Amino acid sequence: MKPAFKLDAHPRRPRPLLSEPPADYFDKLPTRIMARLPQADERAAPAAWAWLSFLSPVLRTGLASVAVLGGFAASFYMSGSAPLVPATASTAALDAVPRTELANYLLTSGTRVETSDLATLTAAHPNIAKGFLRVSDEELNDALDAQPTDDPTYL
Amino acid sequence: MRLEDHEILLKFQHPASRNLAFNQLVRKYQSKVYWHVRKMVVDHDDADDLTQDVFVKVWKHLENFRQDAQLFTWIYRIATNECLNFLSSKRRKFLLPLNDVGAELAAKIEADPAIAGDEIELKLQKAILRLPDKQRLVFNLRYYDEMPYEQMAEVTGTSVGALKASYHHAVKKVEEYVTRTTDD
Repeated sequence: MKPAFKLDAHPRRPRPLLSEPPADYFDKLPTRIMARLPQADERAAPAAWAWLSFLSPVLRTGLASVAVLGGFAASFYMSGSAPLVPATASTAALDAVPRTELANYLLTSGTRVETSDLATLTAAHPNIAKGFLRVSDEELNDALDAQPTDDPTYL
Repeated sequence: MRLEDHEILLKFQHPASRNLAFNQLVRKYQSKVYWHVRKMVVDHDDADDLTQDVFVKVWKHLENFRQDAQLFTWIYRIATNECLNFLSSKRRKFLLPLNDVGAELAAKIEADPAIAGDEIELKLQKAILRLPDKQRLVFNLRYYDEMPYEQMAEVTGTSVGALKASYHHAVKKVEEYVTRTTDD
């Protein structure tokens, strides 16, 4: 009967009997590997972002999340309906437009100004009534009160 | 002078000392990685390519290395995955069944002058090459590298119990093959 081969009884080697790599292989390998690495300027972040490399991965992940959420919030804010309150600079610029030109623009462009626009604008900028529209508070109130009751904006 | 792992990692964090730190890392682990890979793929040229690939991957991902594992265990894991992917892609590329890759590797072993004349050693190597890749990996880590099972579990992502069972079966298969193929 054949004697059974037992691995424990076999002389143990640190590795299989394979031919060694060339004599200077391990001397040259680091240089070959370093030559294959992505170039420093490809890999390095631009100088403005270099500080990111000093943050821990957890902090960087947190920062990235905040940036993404901030981006969403900003795009949501910017894509929403126009703000009800026009910027002060815009109203100032509007003040500078001659009334006749504005009237001509509104008449020829087909833009329709609703009484709701008048209500919203004067509520946000009380001075616009006296400045650009040149109407008294009473005239303004009369105009707003005279709006038809079936105006869908207020139903 | 050899740097400790934590010193290498610290130096790697700073752009000015990054290349130097990585060079030290390669010098420290190149031999272990090469032989780990070489045992799996047998051929020197394949082992050379894969060893370089491993270190390029280490370079790319070292910044994200979480120090809850040992650096070498992590590198071993990358090397292991590279080997398994290489063998599996070789099989897919040539539509080879499992045993044919083993046979190809065995032929390379047989042609290696280092093993010439050592009949039992040759049979042992052939027996090891007949094991499925993952079982062969477990066998190599335990038998040749004498790696503790806990560390093997980190490298392979397998439980200690499964690794012990795998090694036990691998040893049985190897012993049976060598016994069966040895003349009286």
